[in-house]
Amino acid sequence: MPSSSSSSSPPPGKPSHLPEQAAARRAWLAILARVPRATLEQALAAALPGGLPQYDWLRAPETGLAMVRGRVGGSGDAFNLGEATVTRATLRLRATDGIALTVGIACLLGRDKRRAELAALSDALLQVPQHHQAVYAQVIETSATHIELERETQRRAAAATRVEFFTMVRGD
Amino acid sequence: MNLPDQTTHASTEGADSVRWDTLIPGFRDPVHDSQATFRLLLDALSRPARLFRLQLAHTLDTGGSATPVAALAALYALCDFATPVWLAAPNQTLASALRFHTGAPLAESAADAAFVWIDDASCMPQLADFALGDAESPEFSATLLIRVASLTDGPRLRCSGPGIETTQHLAPLGLPPGFWSARAELAGLFPCGIDLFLICGDTLAGVPRTTRVEEA
Repeated sequence: MPSSSSSSSPPPGKPSHLPEQAAARRAWLAILARVPRATLEQALAAALPGGLPQYDWLRAPETGLAMVRGRVGGSGDAFNLGEATVTRATLRLRATDGIALTVGIACLLGRDKRRAELAALSDALLQVPQHHQAVYAQVIETSATHIELERETQRRAAAATRVEFFTMVRGD
Repeated sequence: MNLPDQTTHASTEGADSVRWDTLIPGFRDPVHDSQATFRLLLDALSRPARLFRLQLAHTLDTGGSATPVAALAALYALCDFATPVWLAAPNQTLASALRFHTGAPLAESAADAAFVWIDDASCMPQLADFALGDAESPEFSATLLIRVASLTDGPRLRCSGPGIETTQHLAPLGLPPGFWSARAELAGLFPCGIDLFLICGDTLAGVPRTTRVEEA
């Protein structure tokens, strides 16, 4: 069986053609795609004590299938790995209190529409200079550490089950 | 989303043509609204020259653009990534909405388009300049959506053909002189030809290639 690498989460900063801003946005979108709903709710409430800002839907949360593609051996020919359930949403912050019209997007695995809404809202707020710092600290930084920790635990759990075979005595 | 790098770049470039600050929301209920609109368009082509009113018109936001609500709904329902759309007059709001909500590419020229939106019929190209399909695949012809000032106050037309029991009258206002005779000349090319939707506000009439139209 060919090993696969999902191209859904390219390493942050890898595409060199992207301007710095787009690369930063790509990095936080990759993290937002992994933050659980409860964490998003809490973190946004903490970052915005005055309540969530008003916004309009450009594309209300909708659930569908997306083809996940991989590459043979991680770098070979592309192949279709299978379809994944994905929820996406696009919203636009209203222009109030010196905040410009800002568009936030979200594209997450699963069917949680509220989570997509909160992720899109976070993406929009991260682009607003007045809110960037608070939201980045509350939502992205804490979650990034948490996600990395979880990954590390999983990596260790998997490594612990590794079996290495070696020959002690070759019977000639 | 989950696409190889090259495709991702292409779609990013396409997204750049979307004007985010003036982008209008699409159907309120994308699945059911597009089905209802599709059904209406199907009925309009099955019963040519009869007037059909779009019931969900009030739920659709035209964003202050001058595009009639029925045209917007029809384009949302019909277009997808495989159907190039040509706008006879540049329209940033409509172009952004189509790129974002349907993913349809915008055609460079009239001949490449599967769907055409004509906002001002008085300066539209010749009918023969659009894709007519070919004998083996007449379905690759263009469908024209044309805005008219009225569907009842113009010069009276007598329509007959499949889907019409005897005759059906239509009176579109605002089509250029010679439009119907130019269309009649295409009849000899059947099964190739062009299908029309005449649109005024939230009302439309279909005139498929099989309908004979005479100026009464």
